[in-house]
Amino acid sequence: MKNIDSDKHLRGESLYLDDLPTLQGSLHAMVFASPTAHGLLQKLELEEARKSCGVWGILTARDIPGENQIGNIIPDEPLFAEKEIHYRGQPIALILAESREAARQARQKIKVEIEEFPAVTTAEEAFEKGMFITEPRTFTMGDVDRAFAKCAHVFEGKTFTNGQEHLYLETQAAYAIPAEGDQIKIISSTQGPSQVQKAAAQVLGLPMHKIEVEVIRLGGGFGGKEDQATPWAVMAALGAQLSRRPVKLVLSRSDDLLMTGKRHPYSARFKIGLDENLKILAYEARFLQNAGAAADLSPAVAERTLFHATNSYFVKNARLSVYSCRTHLPPNTAFRGFGGPQGMFVMEAAIALAAQKLKIEARHIQQANLLQEGDRFPYGQRAEQALARKSWETAYLHYKADDLCRKAEDFNKKHEYIKKGVAFMPICFGISFTNTPMNQARALVHVYRDGSVGISTGAVEMGQGVNTKMLQVAASCFSIQPERIKIETTNTTRVANTSPSAASATSDLNGKALLKACEQIKKRLLKTAAKELKTNPQKISLQNECVLIDKKDSGLRWEELVQTALLQRVSLSETAHYATPKIRFDKKREKGRPFSYHVYGTAIITAKVDGLRGTYQIESVQIAHDFGKSMNTAIDLGQVEGGLVQGLGWMCMEELAYDKNGRLLSNALSTYKIPDLFSVPERIEVVPLEDEGHEAAILKSKAVGEPPLMYGIGAYFAILNAMRAFQSDLEPFFNAPMTPEKVLTGLLKKQVKNKPLHVEKRQIG
Amino acid sequence: MKISLTVNGKQYAHEVEPRMSLTHYLREVLNLTGTHIGCDTSSCGACTVLLDGVAVKSCTILAVQADGCEVTTIEGLAQGSDLHPIQEAFREHHGLQCGFCTPGMVMTAVDILQNNPNPSEEEIRHGLEGNFCRCTGYHNIVKSIQHAAEKINA
Repeated sequence: MKNIDSDKHLRGESLYLDDLPTLQGSLHAMVFASPTAHGLLQKLELEEARKSCGVWGILTARDIPGENQIGNIIPDEPLFAEKEIHYRGQPIALILAESREAARQARQKIKVEIEEFPAVTTAEEAFEKGMFITEPRTFTMGDVDRAFAKCAHVFEGKTFTNGQEHLYLETQAAYAIPAEGDQIKIISSTQGPSQVQKAAAQVLGLPMHKIEVEVIRLGGGFGGKEDQATPWAVMAALGAQLSRRPVKLVLSRSDDLLMTGKRHPYSARFKIGLDENLKILAYEARFLQNAGAAADLSPAVAERTLFHATNSYFVKNARLSVYSCRTHLPPNTAFRGFGGPQGMFVMEAAIALAAQKLKIEARHIQQANLLQEGDRFPYGQRAEQALARKSWETAYLHYKADDLCRKAEDFNKKHEYIKKGVAFMPICFGISFTNTPMNQARALVHVYRDGSVGISTGAVEMGQGVNTKMLQVAASCFSIQPERIKIETTNTTRVANTSPSAASATSDLNGKALLKACEQIKKRLLKTAAKELKTNPQKISLQNECVLIDKKDSGLRWEELVQTALLQRVSLSETAHYATPKIRFDKKREKGRPFSYHVYGTAIITAKVDGLRGTYQIESVQIAHDFGKSMNTAIDLGQVEGGLVQGLGWMCMEELAYDKNGRLLSNALSTYKIPDLFSVPERIEVVPLEDEGHEAAILKSKAVGEPPLMYGIGAYFAILNAMRAFQSDLEPFFNAPMTPEKVLTGLLKKQVKNKPLHVEKRQIG
Repeated sequence: MKISLTVNGKQYAHEVEPRMSLTHYLREVLNLTGTHIGCDTSSCGACTVLLDGVAVKSCTILAVQADGCEVTTIEGLAQGSDLHPIQEAFREHHGLQCGFCTPGMVMTAVDILQNNPNPSEEEIRHGLEGNFCRCTGYHNIVKSIQHAAEKINA
């Protein structure tokens, strides 16, 4: 089935937040943010701005009737700075004006005096100074010290992975509309409507039932609108509460880049120990997470780093610890992969270093250590339906990996200045929110008397195709035409207490709840049909809008059945709740079964590097991916390709830059490069693993949102392998993204020492 | 300033501020919100429309510059219930996810195929280099345009 939004998207009829018709009397809001990363607010002059043409008013922390607090996991994030300034871009005031332009002009008239203190921008510095968000966490399995003592080979190293800007094409936005009495309706571009509702209630000093949050769709989210859509929605709501006028707040791209957090930069140290047969006997890693100025989701992101720190490998003895470091950057937040990719990168770096030192290919170490059925992860869960080896072997055989590697070697023999590198990237990603209570969802289904169906769940459509999948679930349960079904907006008055659309689990959680609700209605309809047709309900079934008795057409149609049920006063509405079974995690022991299941896969990445320029092209990415029984191949393949390219962007080209004063230097699309058409792989091939799927996955179709991003990590190592082809004794470095500048300087280190390359001898590969 | 122009076949005349961008004119005055704003700095291409048949980033064109011109936006591409072959191809080949970049991509594709009915993959990529998509990884977008070209030429 095609994405159900395709037609609207292609006609320009889909409504994103800023496309909503502006109601009469609407005010436009703009945020005034701190120009300094760290300091004390001494003076805020608003008078001139207040007098500016078209300004309704300017709000600060003093205007908040409730609590000036929007922190989710930890209450450490004020909506507006009061005295202390913790990052450049921290909101201080909100301008409400008749137009965006009037708000912008007023903003320029605000004057602020801040007593400036030195800013801490790196995790290392924060670590040295003891600046932490929470207590460190450590996962341990086996006896690591004793295992290291037994290892034939031990290697140590360090890594850095930079952050990543989400760059959802639709910027953060909200529209708040005052309703009767003191109620407020917020339309928000958020992945987490209930979180917006909770935070707005807290700031506005209202009970949650007086705040209605609605989400139509998002122009991309990628985690960037999980928690960080909240402040803008709450500000708009505050504006609407105080002005009693609708308030629209749409961040400009530059404000969005400046004020919102990104993927967490991580600095890490590792130690890996192998035996003679390349078995990893021991692994130790210490991660320093650059959390930014407030907790946001950082503790949960840090936790997932540990969950995925051994990637797809069985490591009998492991000690993994993470420190969430507080710095003076905007609070970093969820981003597709949620800390998992940062953990996996370090493991892959450790293997690459070992391979380099042992003068072998990394794939030999990777292959020797892949998880097998029943192997334990460091957090205690056993690998069930483990497909690490199967995905590796499938990729290996399907893409003729030996030939691929040989061809690259041949190419490298023939070309002096252009070399190819091949890397393997197995992935293993756990599905479920690691915070067990979040693994629940609800759905509300109405069958209308004309046979049409309306569905509400907590799922937010952001391009991932969840609405299409929800529609498929209902259509298959009722066996009716998709045209009969409408997926309603996500709205907290219809489905309450939702978990955000995140953790790749949206379709599983909401789909399971939806299926339950549909099945309840179906059960009642079958009973109605049996009564009407004077037979036993067990003999009745629904197929293609017809009621069947013993699989033969009874003549009764879907609409008639619905009509009959209504006349017989049978309920045609249902709400259902689903809670993922069999998951638990004990944070005291750091052991449990946090994941409902794991998604596996293996990618083979081939890169071609120009040794004179440092430029490279990712020639191909060939993937064997574990979809389970994909319920929508087009959507799932789209997730794999899109996730992969986002991962490549993070690993190769997206270079987030802050100066030492915490000022964002990569502050526009001209200075922050996301993959364009020329930087994506020339070829992406995906072969699905033959696999039964998993019971906990909706219709056995496994979660697919995040896992493919981590195939992108392989690109780093493919480029590094090509660099090794230039210099067999290259000292590997693990400092992502691997930009062309780093390739060049990495290669030059030695060339400068020995002799420069002769440009005239250059060959074109 | 007073401007008169044709948008999607309809005549309009409006008094506009000289510094109003064409994007804002289309979105706020004509309520044609299919033309999206992604970056404000002409980097992303989400705001692409056809100005006298040529793809332009409407965020860097002033409304007054469109005076006397013919503008086609995404809303003007389909003929009633019939999608334009490029729109059709994007739907068939899953050339979209969140849909935010889609109108700009489609309008750019119209320009590409107008100038070059049989573009190579390289030429399509070159033609789309001013448009960003954060969801798809581009492959399906290129594929969609290739299929649209085939269909138009058939």
